Amino acid sequence: MKRTQDHHRRHGITRRSFFSGAGALGAAAALTNGTALSALLPTPARAAEAAPMPGGTMHLAAPYGSALKSLDPHATWRSQDMVVSKAFHRSLYSWDTSKNAPAPDLAASVTAEADGMTHTYKLHDNAYFHNGRQVVADDVIWSFTRVMDPDKGFPGAALVANIEGADDYAKGKAKTISGLKKIDDLSFQIKMKNYTDPGLLFFDGVTSILPKEEVAKPDFLTHPVGCGPFSFSQHVAGSSISGKKFDKYYKPGKPYADGVHFVITGDYSALDMAFRSGELDATVLSASAYALYKNDAKLSKGLVEVHELFTRHMGMNLKMKPFDDEKVRQAINYAIDRDLIIDKLIKGKAFKAVSWLPSSSIAFDETRKPYPFDVDKAKELMKASAYPDGAEVTIWATNGTNGTGVAQAITPYLAAIGLKVTLKVVESSVLSDALHSGTAQAWLYSSGTGPDPIAALRDFDSRVTRAGGNTTGFSDPAYDKMLDDAAGEVDPDKRRKLTMQADGYIFDKAPVWFFNTNKAVVATQPWIHNVGGNVTEAAILEVDDMWLGKDAPGRS
Amino acid sequence: MLRQLRRPNLAVGGGIVVLLIIIAVFAPLIAPHDPIHDANLMYAGEPPSTAFWLGTDDQGRDIFSRIVYGARIALTVGLLVEMMNAAIGIALGLSAGYFGGWWDEFVQGLTNVMLAVPTIVFALALMAVMGPGIPSLLVALGLTDWAYSCRISRAQVLSMKSSPFIQAARTMGYGPGHIMLRELLPNIAGPLIVVATMGVGSAIMAEASLSFLGLGVVPPAPSWGSMLAGAREQLIVAPWIAVFPGLAIFVTVLGFNLLGDGLRDLLDPQGRSRR
Amino acid sequence: MALVILRRLAQALITVAVVLTLVFLLFSVIPGNYVSSLMAEKRGVDPAVAARIAASLHLNDPTPLRLWHYFVDLLHGNLGVSFSTQQPVTEMLSGRIFASVRLALAAISFAIVTGLPLGYLAASRQGRWVDGVAMVFAVSGLSVPAFWFGLLAMYVFSLQLGLLPTFGYGGGDLAHLVMPALTLGIAPMALLARTTRAAVLETRNADFIRTARSKGMSEGRLVRKHLARNAFVLILTMIGLQFGAMLGGSVVIESLFAWPGVGSLLIQSVGLRDIPVVQGCILVIVLFFLAVNTLVDIAYLIIDPRIRYK
Repeated sequence: MKRTQDHHRRHGITRRSFFSGAGALGAAAALTNGTALSALLPTPARAAEAAPMPGGTMHLAAPYGSALKSLDPHATWRSQDMVVSKAFHRSLYSWDTSKNAPAPDLAASVTAEADGMTHTYKLHDNAYFHNGRQVVADDVIWSFTRVMDPDKGFPGAALVANIEGADDYAKGKAKTISGLKKIDDLSFQIKMKNYTDPGLLFFDGVTSILPKEEVAKPDFLTHPVGCGPFSFSQHVAGSSISGKKFDKYYKPGKPYADGVHFVITGDYSALDMAFRSGELDATVLSASAYALYKNDAKLSKGLVEVHELFTRHMGMNLKMKPFDDEKVRQAINYAIDRDLIIDKLIKGKAFKAVSWLPSSSIAFDETRKPYPFDVDKAKELMKASAYPDGAEVTIWATNGTNGTGVAQAITPYLAAIGLKVTLKVVESSVLSDALHSGTAQAWLYSSGTGPDPIAALRDFDSRVTRAGGNTTGFSDPAYDKMLDDAAGEVDPDKRRKLTMQADGYIFDKAPVWFFNTNKAVVATQPWIHNVGGNVTEAAILEVDDMWLGKDAPGRS
Repeated sequence: MLRQLRRPNLAVGGGIVVLLIIIAVFAPLIAPHDPIHDANLMYAGEPPSTAFWLGTDDQGRDIFSRIVYGARIALTVGLLVEMMNAAIGIALGLSAGYFGGWWDEFVQGLTNVMLAVPTIVFALALMAVMGPGIPSLLVALGLTDWAYSCRISRAQVLSMKSSPFIQAARTMGYGPGHIMLRELLPNIAGPLIVVATMGVGSAIMAEASLSFLGLGVVPPAPSWGSMLAGAREQLIVAPWIAVFPGLAIFVTVLGFNLLGDGLRDLLDPQGRSRR
Repeated sequence: MALVILRRLAQALITVAVVLTLVFLLFSVIPGNYVSSLMAEKRGVDPAVAARIAASLHLNDPTPLRLWHYFVDLLHGNLGVSFSTQQPVTEMLSGRIFASVRLALAAISFAIVTGLPLGYLAASRQGRWVDGVAMVFAVSGLSVPAFWFGLLAMYVFSLQLGLLPTFGYGGGDLAHLVMPALTLGIAPMALLARTTRAAVLETRNADFIRTARSKGMSEGRLVRKHLARNAFVLILTMIGLQFGAMLGGSVVIESLFAWPGVGSLLIQSVGLRDIPVVQGCILVIVLFFLAVNTLVDIAYLIIDPRIRYK
């Protein structure tokens, strides 16, 4: 699943899921919870939590830009918008941060049928939209069908497309999606095209369940209506958005807070100061602020560190010299001292990448060792390559530490093995144009590499276009077959093994320089409780689960 | 009695500017390190010490050396941009004020267009087409920021056009060229010099702002603006990375402004106008 | 006077048309369009879908045709619909204009109230230490980038003293306005102080002032009657320019303080290549600028009768 993050910087917040008791994790859990994930779980901010206390207004941040793109949750896959839509909307699943796996949300139960592709759902019988109408099976079918609308180009289409018949609907060959079947008002079936766990696909805001009658109203774009814990109250475009507690929310007693307020800004220095002056209950941190908070006795207590499912890398265009030679690509992976860059430039706010899949991925191979920093080996490889005299390389990057900053840091390392770097600074949309058209030679980027590992590895599938995510133009039938074998395997253990094997293949072929996976850090005030770490996007907080202590400023 | 000390502006301002020029010209002799290639992450974020007088930045480069070399970029950008601006602005403003009529209308329209569209929009568009870097920076700032000098020279000419000495020059049969360059220009030079010297400063500042948006000088070139913008989030953790380039900008802008003030006083000493 | 205003209106119309055309053309030649900004955000928009979106937004029509449609719509008072939010541009702008103008008014008031006296003080003590201190102070205002001042203000007033909220619009209260207004106003303040000083010195030495002085007019009366009036032409020019440019010049400050203004919308829309919104923002910025400067031109007429518009 390739979701590119807002490039400049990123960080995040999340929840601790309350779903531990919800019985029917069903097929979802069976398929995904194969590995021991406890070691990868986010570090809790505070160990013992008292009984939740209702009331107060939570002050949070939408920390990736100075505006929201859309209040229609289907229309945007920006982390920025999803942070906010979590308060107003719900999906079939949510990401359970305590288990590091998807958990049913609006779905009260999920049962996998014998074929491994059909899933039967039962919705909660007490879920209501903010307009008072009950959430029923038709709403799910209508919402998923809307996401596939071929005229809209909604981002969630890439997810819903895994349902049988979704493509035909999108191409206009069918009036409905054949894989979506209503059983009764609260029950329905989803038939997938493959063995992908639907929980890995339908937990984000892009597949929110929306009320048809409200979406049809012209003011839906300014007054969103959903079935989330808070109902919309005010949006000051470019500044803030707030909601108030929805009394008919389906989870009894939740949300705890009476209201939620998000300030909309991409400025980390400002977020840092607002947090330290007590105006924010929680916020994500920049690398510099992290360095500061970590060394402060008081501030360090509230830090939640999250190992996110995003892989930062330098992509290489395999159709261009010198990257058509895998020895050059491998040499690059040997030539750069990533530990030093992460320590000094990123200030420790990242984990060294091993291969394409991050170590928090369910298909991560614990036995694989990262490329060591070995200049001699790198020089050897260069000498043996088709470019023993070196080459010129133009690296495209956006402005910021993770773009131009990293590019400058690797320049001397590449120079040492004969690669002369020129830096090209571009806007993110220009960069994406260049990647999709194959005009960039090398680039610094961050790609979403989870939660579904097979989808993440499709970024090197030769049948996937550059625009579809195969930006390096990697093409290897043997690899395609590995992926297909993995995707066609029902047994979770075998499936994971095959996926690991594919990841290892990418590791050897090195179509990218594996740099790091993001360590998102959330700072929390002592008075806010139940803030968890969401590896899929740390900035997305489970607001229905958080509560304010009695000394919180949000209570006055 | 303090009359004799009335020119400290000129001395201090001129001194700063001359010093800057010397630093820029002899940068390789002054800087202990190479501003770009002597990067060593092992020494990233070091506070000021005897080895690194002003500390190192987050890439492990010597900040003092980068500031020294940065003087070259600052002076180039500041002076070239302001020369372009002043030439365009004064030529247009002077002639518009003097001739009036359709030319005045046209110039005013053009000025309004340039003033009304934020420089940032031109800059964004130009950078997208030409790519960020010093040439596009010069075009983006040099061709768009002339409106001030134009406006001021026009307003000055308008208020001076009917003065007796201009009337006199006219009756003496001098042509418009002579009157504009010989009579009007020297008389409106005071405020224009102030505007122009401030313009050098604001061009350096504009470079900083554009760097902030990733549109300025391409890293790793040592421009003060991009050094300052890049260090923004480190203000609290490693203040020296931000403070010293900021100080360099401050002193430079101060120098040009004081120089401007001094020149103004020199051109038009109190109580003793040329006419 | 009516004629002057009429002429100004005609000029304004032309300016608006030229600016909108210019910006429109600029954005049709630069790399990237709205669909590429969509692609930057998500995985595999099906090329067919991408093409359909591009077609429905008329992105592939020839530029002159798109420009023509834009102006036809504009003449009907229709600014179009945002590519990204699907909201009418007028709706998106309406809330932001008020916030922007409010910020600009507060900033220019601060600049005038502090800059003018400072500049006058410096001029009347020309060459003395007061002059030096005032001008160094003014130059500081010009030589520190706005975002720097903003951060410093946040650090002092919000983090250290806890006096003001760090950012946000609040309910439109005064507390939220103070810091962004100071930050936005500091450079114009400095510029005004310097312009005032220069203008006062300039006019003080002008012929008619010396004549008046030689006739024995008292310094006080001189200041009130001639000096102020003549220096005001220059000062007003500067105020007009500074104030008029504030809507477009507050981008960085708006982003820093999460202020819901037109400038931050503009930058956001440029990044998304959301052309109708870009054009809408530019229109607002240009109209505001023109309105301010027309007022300044009228003020010239009142203050300095020597200026005549034919």
